[in-house]
Amino acid sequence: MTLVKTPPPLSQDVDLSKTYDAVIVGSGAAGGMAAHVLTEQGMDVLLLEAGKKLPIEQELRSMQWPYDHPRRGDAPPGYHSLSFNEYTIRTPPYAKGSTFKHVMSYVGGWGGSDYVKNILVDEKDHPYTGTKYAWVRARALGGKTNIWGRLALRLSDYDFKGKTHDGYGDDWPISYADIEPYYDRVDRYLGISGVKENLPHLPDSLFQRPNKLSFGEVKLRESLKKMGRVLTPYRAGVTTDGLKHNKYRSKCYGRGACDRRPGGCDIHAAFDSPTGLIYPAMDTGHLTIRTNSIAHEVLVDPNSGKARGVAFVDSGTRKSYEAKAKVVIVGASTLESARLLLLSRSPQHPNGIGNSSGHVGHNFCEHVMGPGVTGLVKDLVGKPPTLDDGRPGGFYIPRFRNLKDRQPGFVRGYGFEGSGGFSIFPGNAFGTPGFGAQFKKDVRDHAGAFIGMGGFGEVLSRYENYVDLDPDAKDAWGIPTLRFHYQFGDNEKKMCEDMVVAGREMLEAAGIEVVGTDEKMLTEGWSIHELGTARMGSDPKTSVLNQFQQSHDVKNLFVVDGSSHVSASCQNPTWTIMALAWRSCEYLAGEFKKGNL
Amino acid sequence: MSDHRVDPQEGLSRREMLEVTAAALATPLLHLGPTAAPPATPILQGAPKFFTGPEFALLDELSDLIIPTDAHSPGARVAGVATYIDFRLSESPEPEQQASWRSGLAAVDALSKELHGKPLLEATPDQRVAVLTRMAAGEHDPKTPAEHFFQQLKGWTVRAYYTSKVGIHADEQYKGNVYQRGEFAGYDAT
Repeated sequence: MTLVKTPPPLSQDVDLSKTYDAVIVGSGAAGGMAAHVLTEQGMDVLLLEAGKKLPIEQELRSMQWPYDHPRRGDAPPGYHSLSFNEYTIRTPPYAKGSTFKHVMSYVGGWGGSDYVKNILVDEKDHPYTGTKYAWVRARALGGKTNIWGRLALRLSDYDFKGKTHDGYGDDWPISYADIEPYYDRVDRYLGISGVKENLPHLPDSLFQRPNKLSFGEVKLRESLKKMGRVLTPYRAGVTTDGLKHNKYRSKCYGRGACDRRPGGCDIHAAFDSPTGLIYPAMDTGHLTIRTNSIAHEVLVDPNSGKARGVAFVDSGTRKSYEAKAKVVIVGASTLESARLLLLSRSPQHPNGIGNSSGHVGHNFCEHVMGPGVTGLVKDLVGKPPTLDDGRPGGFYIPRFRNLKDRQPGFVRGYGFEGSGGFSIFPGNAFGTPGFGAQFKKDVRDHAGAFIGMGGFGEVLSRYENYVDLDPDAKDAWGIPTLRFHYQFGDNEKKMCEDMVVAGREMLEAAGIEVVGTDEKMLTEGWSIHELGTARMGSDPKTSVLNQFQQSHDVKNLFVVDGSSHVSASCQNPTWTIMALAWRSCEYLAGEFKKGNL
Repeated sequence: MSDHRVDPQEGLSRREMLEVTAAALATPLLHLGPTAAPPATPILQGAPKFFTGPEFALLDELSDLIIPTDAHSPGARVAGVATYIDFRLSESPEPEQQASWRSGLAAVDALSKELHGKPLLEATPDQRVAVLTRMAAGEHDPKTPAEHFFQQLKGWTVRAYYTSKVGIHADEQYKGNVYQRGEFAGYDAT
């Protein structure tokens, strides 16, 4: 049976003699969306991706049973995934001096490193320095969307007008009303599943059919209602009803493959940029793609000071090229985009292109995670197994702090992600003491009775949290690397303490016995939600981009990824990245047609 | 335009599941865990790749003491746990990891000799359980070499068993990794 189509192979031999209407750097959520919107508007677009185009279905092998893989999903000898301790004990670059041939970020250790070993970068080729940071990078067509975690949430005016609400930081130059129509378009074009809850701080999407809850999750939802809190089925960027306009994506069959691996869906029911955005954009006939193309400078016209294209090196041949374009769009990910801007120094832009404010690389923020609770649902002990994990995720508990109340210890808030019930591997086996028939029975009887959840909290945007270029260190292609100057502060620590207290309180109120708590914060970077390094704003002195993600300094330069976000919110960023990119690229196309760029 | 073919039935393999379940039904009551004698030959195709024959036999027995066959499902021996560990160690690029298994198995026999005057495989079933009980005593705070080895042994046994056909289908009776063509399983959020 055929569920999805795949497009023909890409050619490396693209026409670099002509001047494109636009060149896009990066093919993830941001770059993919830019390609979709601009090609739909009829613009002639070149997309540069640093990584390769992978035979992604063969990489992911979503339905492979563990025992049908020689190493039960582990990568072959010679591959190593960084552990929490390596990030905390060592100083970056983490892979330096490793005896392993290939070193991956911690994501490889989630179970199934063989399925992501070609998606994640080899840390040995991509060093960085400075403070500790678990920087997860994927270089492949589609970037990190190939293993995206699928939680697709909207932000609200509690985020966009955060300063107005609590006095901290800066408001965004847009409000929810500005972006709402674009969230709607993203919902319809890409598909999202969920349940309407009518919450002002977590606006509803245009949902396809929702994922279901497990028994323990329903119990917790019912109890939370009495506390005025909400547990809602995982709002997943997954098409559960199918998309008639997209032949590259199947509807979701509840296989659960995405949730027992680091991510990825080989029938593309879960959103990924290639099948959701890029292949349809190719079908317009207006998109040219060059993979293995590592951009290292936005080129500047010395007379006008405007961008005139992008310099890149071929990752395989190491040859240098220039791509010429009338508009340059950067969507290389929050940190790589900042790096590219800082690398693009010229007499016109001595601090890096678009950086007259000195804010590029600064105001770096993300989500803090780690603290969480595990509970035992006693009614489920000894019950026969049920299918609980055939879904893209369990549940989400939206923020409940600092909405109407004012917490004494911290500003802003956090949400919980969690799930309960049976899964393919009974994780409780590791914590069950003893051995023999009793051990085996204990594992079996309790395997489906646990429910766990972990917090994702807003890290405050602070100017003093930043990245710059390391004066000495270079990557495998001789390009200067990033140096981190980034640490969680007191607000994050207080918030994390509260996560444990509140998590415990919620489980106990539901009659669920708390059997474990995690109190430690994971290393900076762990959430893979880095944001803010080229923020939007109305004042060119304190921001890099205007409300359309257009450089204050260089009007034909746009930065359309998470680097533009003014604050992190506690809600996951991908859906907002795409809604903003859609809005900005629509504006871009309009200005382009008017000859204003 | 090439098609990406996905066969929704492929991952299921009902036949395989039935086979495993049949094996589970055929095996019970023959080996009731620690009190039963082990079968003469462990499940292994050809010689072990990393361990010596005696080392492999010891590992096989230890894994089956940790997760034995019971009335519900076959244990670690039937699931081929020792074979899997042997394969993974045979290609390990870490000599220290390999050495820790050799010395760990030696520590088990040393403890068995200390307690019963003979290596584990020559001890009675009850004596074997006594050795493992001693090793497991320090599970949460291991101190002796045998206690440290127990952690390592149990961790790998758990990982290998619950990712095996026997572990997933016969023991856990896992319901997922299937195409749900109609309603998704579970409860509505109402």
